[in-house]
Amino acid sequence: MKPMSHFHELTLPLSEAQARELRVGDMVTMTGPVTVSIGIPTHKRMAEAAHAGTALPVDIRGGAFFHLSTYVREQNGISQPLYLNPSTSTRYNAWMPDIVRGLGPRLVGGKGGLDSESVAALRECGCVYLSFLGGGSPLLSRALRGVRSSHWNEYISQFRLLTLDVEALGPATVSIDAHGRSAYDDLGDQARARMPEILARLKQGRQTS
Amino acid sequence: MPIDSATIKAVTASLYERSLKKIPDDTRVVLARAGEAETNTTARRTFTMMLESADTAASKGQLICSDVGIPTYSIKIGTRVRFNGPVRQAITDGFAELAANIDPPILKMVTHPLTHERSYAGKDIPIVSFDVIDDADYMDIVCAPKAMGTGRWEAVEAFVYPTEEDVEKYVLDVVLRAGSQPCLPIVVGVGIGGTFDQATRLAKEAVLRPHGKPQPDPQLARMEKNLLDAINQMGFGAMGTGGDTSAMAVNIDYSASHGFVPVAVCFNCWINRRTAARIHGDGRVEMLYE
Repeated sequence: MKPMSHFHELTLPLSEAQARELRVGDMVTMTGPVTVSIGIPTHKRMAEAAHAGTALPVDIRGGAFFHLSTYVREQNGISQPLYLNPSTSTRYNAWMPDIVRGLGPRLVGGKGGLDSESVAALRECGCVYLSFLGGGSPLLSRALRGVRSSHWNEYISQFRLLTLDVEALGPATVSIDAHGRSAYDDLGDQARARMPEILARLKQGRQTS
Repeated sequence: MPIDSATIKAVTASLYERSLKKIPDDTRVVLARAGEAETNTTARRTFTMMLESADTAASKGQLICSDVGIPTYSIKIGTRVRFNGPVRQAITDGFAELAANIDPPILKMVTHPLTHERSYAGKDIPIVSFDVIDDADYMDIVCAPKAMGTGRWEAVEAFVYPTEEDVEKYVLDVVLRAGSQPCLPIVVGVGIGGTFDQATRLAKEAVLRPHGKPQPDPQLARMEKNLLDAINQMGFGAMGTGGDTSAMAVNIDYSASHGFVPVAVCFNCWINRRTAARIHGDGRVEMLYE
């Protein structure tokens, strides 16, 4: 039997208990500050800070850190984020465990999931991974309310450590929860388990033609 | 009458912008059908969001995806066409002008492969392939912005006298390795044979084939259908969080080969960016698909 999928309207920051309530398959929207970056140099720098115990210019403890990219338009002294969209998270696998353990976010996310070391860090620390719709920029961008802070501005727009104010960002799907369950691992295992049957059916297809 | 460089420049820019702001009509039909047939609740909801995202982008002139990719163009020039100025430079200029002026502004995605420095321009950008069409008095331009979500999972491997089974298994291996990470459902393009470069080019052309265009080779048609069913039995689903449709189509082409047979597999994500236009010898521009 499939567990029921729940819908959560979250306000950031979150407590550990709130993060642990979220289960794979649940959907969420978020309101409050979210920090975003898709820069590899940014991740290296965050992981180094986490490792050294030095503070980031923005505190993401209890908050959200997502692999979402945005373009911020600077006009007349006002910073306006124009759109928001996820990027593939697995390329940050090397730094995410340190970021999760050292910097204490309750929500991370992007698309495509994270590897088993990150899954372990999420379980240990009480943090969940959210899957956002790729190609979902027109929907996700509706949540944008403004730029709260922008750091490491020597990087290109999408690599900066950017904190945005969002209202009802999402919906996003909980795809790795804080209990060690990963939809990606489950689906990969399921696909590999189905392969003998799939290959047998293909063989049948070649023979019956 | 010759084709003007300014026309080529304008079409280059226009195709890119259209590719970024609207999914192809045929792709919308396939996604809508997949959404209706979907049995997984999350995937069903994801399909609804996909259609809403695509429709909103088209009606409001928004980018569907912030990863605008790198520009690629496949160009076929009729042998009766004459030009009154540069062609390659017009394409470079057309993209540069688009990158400078598009609203909303796009992110820098063109990346130096070794220094990782990012820009809107770079060596050999846009990536362009050229071919000829005998006796035609028009040129066809296909535009396909290419991004990392699918690009990083594409593969090519050389086989020696492969069986159909070897080829099918390889395609499934490449899809399985990509798993949930591309923005599913994808289109899968497969190029079999020729040489290393030819196989990858066939795969690329196959992945951009419009939906429903018939496959005239019965053996390939059967492989396409059976591989599509096989991929959809894997269960990765829309956005890779589980579901019935992981691929929208499998398109295959082949070239005669030696005993060594390269097999190339490439992907396009659900927004399936591809647009095409024909510039006639008299300067008329006709959209072929978008």
